[in-house]
Order: sequence, then structure tokens, then C-alpha cells
Amino acid sequence: MAAMSLLLRAAAAWGAQRAASGAAAGARLSWLTGAARLPSTVAPVRHSSGHGKKMFIIKPTSFYDTRFLNMLRFYVFLTGIPVLLFITYVNIFIGEAELAEIPEGYVPEYWEYYKHPISRWIARYLLDPPEKDYEKEMAILHVEAKKAEMRHMELEARRLMRQRGDGPWYHYETPDKNLVDNSMKSTPDN
Amino acid sequence: MPEDKDWDVYKVPPTRTPVSDRLTSVPNPVTFFQTVFNYVIDAPVTFVREWIERQQSKNKFYYYHQKFRRVPYLSECMEGDYLCFFEAEAQWRRDRMVDTEIVEIIRERLRACEQREGPNYLQNCAKEVEQLAQVTKAYQDRYGDLGVHGNARTCLMKQKQRMMEERNAKAKAEASE
Repeated sequence: MAAMSLLLRAAAAWGAQRAASGAAAGARLSWLTGAARLPSTVAPVRHSSGHGKKMFIIKPTSFYDTRFLNMLRFYVFLTGIPVLLFITYVNIFIGEAELAEIPEGYVPEYWEYYKHPISRWIARYLLDPPEKDYEKEMAILHVEAKKAEMRHMELEARRLMRQRGDGPWYHYETPDKNLVDNSMKSTPDN
Repeated sequence: MPEDKDWDVYKVPPTRTPVSDRLTSVPNPVTFFQTVFNYVIDAPVTFVREWIERQQSKNKFYYYHQKFRRVPYLSECMEGDYLCFFEAEAQWRRDRMVDTEIVEIIRERLRACEQREGPNYLQNCAKEVEQLAQVTKAYQDRYGDLGVHGNARTCLMKQKQRMMEERNAKAKAEASE
């Protein structure tokens, strides 16, 4: 803004100079100085004390941007700061576990294989023991294996019964042979 | 804080305290910077760290490295025994992780040796170089080229191929004698 006031002062000075030279040379070259004729007094400018002219800067609105950033900061810090404070407290006052050899005859619990206290807490109270997950996965595999075996055996039984015809499947009811009327075939000349 | 490395494995050359034979009467400016560093940075940091460790040592707890039981390998599983396959696969993956870490450790040893010896590394690190070559060759023979979908079954097939090639090579060597 100070630069702009300097610019305006420079423009005023240049205008006064051009006006003076224009008035002198206008008599000789009236067709040249037509466009460059400036009023001898430029517009009066109000300066605030020592700060230069107060400018009305025209720029696109930053209302939405600042509102977004403010809200972002607010909602991130609303839960972020308590979480960070909690994690700092845990790291300073509880601290990480130390590595030790498994003592003789002692079977560690499944959460004692983690170092950070928060990981230990999550493993202990939120997650299932890995042995349970392992057994669950093996149970699913066992059930699926049994199902696959049953389906395979059923297909095999179907194939054999169809082929040999001696099983309970693939029985098609045929009419009794005593009901068949053979009278039209009993003489050769029918 | 990071732990100290194993001094038996990663050997450092013996320290040599320099005998100062100063020719000038100007005091060593390094000592000034050392005292400044000591008072401004080292002492407060050490104080805070020791205070934290005092808070943490009130109730200590430990963590362990899990030891897994050995289960039958994939080659000892009956055909169609999917549970045996599952356990053998899990054991194979754990063994592959362990082998990868072993290769990393041998590589670290070579790098440490190179750092230690400086310009003499070609001559003095021959043992570590040989060890790394052997270990990487073994790893490549067993786990290399299986790809991202490599599992215990593909590794077993690769082993079978290797054994077949060895047998053919031996048979050809015996036949050519």
C-alpha cells in the first residue's frame, strides 16, 4: 500500500510534468497531446497517519477457506489432543516392556509377546488369543474338508449305482409284465 | 533407547588414547565446545531421560519371544489332510521369516566389517564375504524364484526338482565313469 501511494505520487508528478509540457507544446502539436492531456490537479488522496493510503483490495473471498481450515483444526484437535496426551502419558510413565528370556516352566500369556503397553492392552482386552483364531480357522477347514469328502463320495455312489443298477437310486418304475396284453402279437397274421 | 550391539561379533579395534604433544600455548577450542555441548544439551537431556526411567522402573513388565512347537512338515502329511497342510504351511512361513532375518544379520556383519576395516576391507573381510555368499546361495536355492504366491507346496516341489537333478547328475557321473 505504501508502494501504491508512491505510485500514485509518481503518477501525479508525471501527470503534472506532462500537463506542463503538454500545455507548452500543445500549441505546436495539438494532435499529438490530445490523448495525453491530464488535469493539472490529480484527485485528492486521504492518507491514514504514516501508513499510506488505505486501499480496498479486491480479491476473491477467503471466507470458505478460512472457515474450512478453522473447522478442520477444531475437529482434529478435539480428539487428537486428548489422544496425544494419553499416549504421551503412557509412554513416559508406563513405558515399554523389556525383552526377557522365558523363565523355566512358565508359559507366557498371549499378550505378553508385545512390547508397547497399548498393544498389550489391545491384545488382552479387545482381540482374541491367536490360538483361538488358529483353532477357528482349522475348524472351518475341517468342516469344509468333510463337506468336500461327502460330496465326492455322493458323486461316486451315484455313478456306481447308475452304472451297476443294483442300488436304491436310479430305480424307474416299469409296469408289471402280467398286465401287458399280447393278444395282437399272439397270431402271426395280425 | 537402542541397545548396544554384541561386542564379540562386531569387534572394534583397540582404542588408542592420543598423547598430546602441543606446540602452541593456545588452548584447544574443541574443549570449549565440548563443555558448552555438555551443559546446554547433554546434561538436561540426560536428566530428563533418567527421570523418565525412574518413573518407568516403578512397575516393570517384560515381553518374550514366542517359541512355536514344531509340527509335521508338508512332506509328512497324508494326502487330503487339510489341517496338517494348514499347520505345515504356517510353520513354513515362520521358517521363511526366520531365514530372511538370518540373511539380513549376515549382511549386517559384512557391512560392519567393511566399516571397521576401512580401506582394507577386501583383504580382511574375506570370511564374512564367504559366509554371506554361502548363506545367500542356500536361501536362493530354497526360497528363491518361488514368487509372491510361493507357499510350502511350491517350495516342496522345488526341493523335489532339486533332488531329481542331483540324482540325475550323480547317475550321469557314475555312468560316465
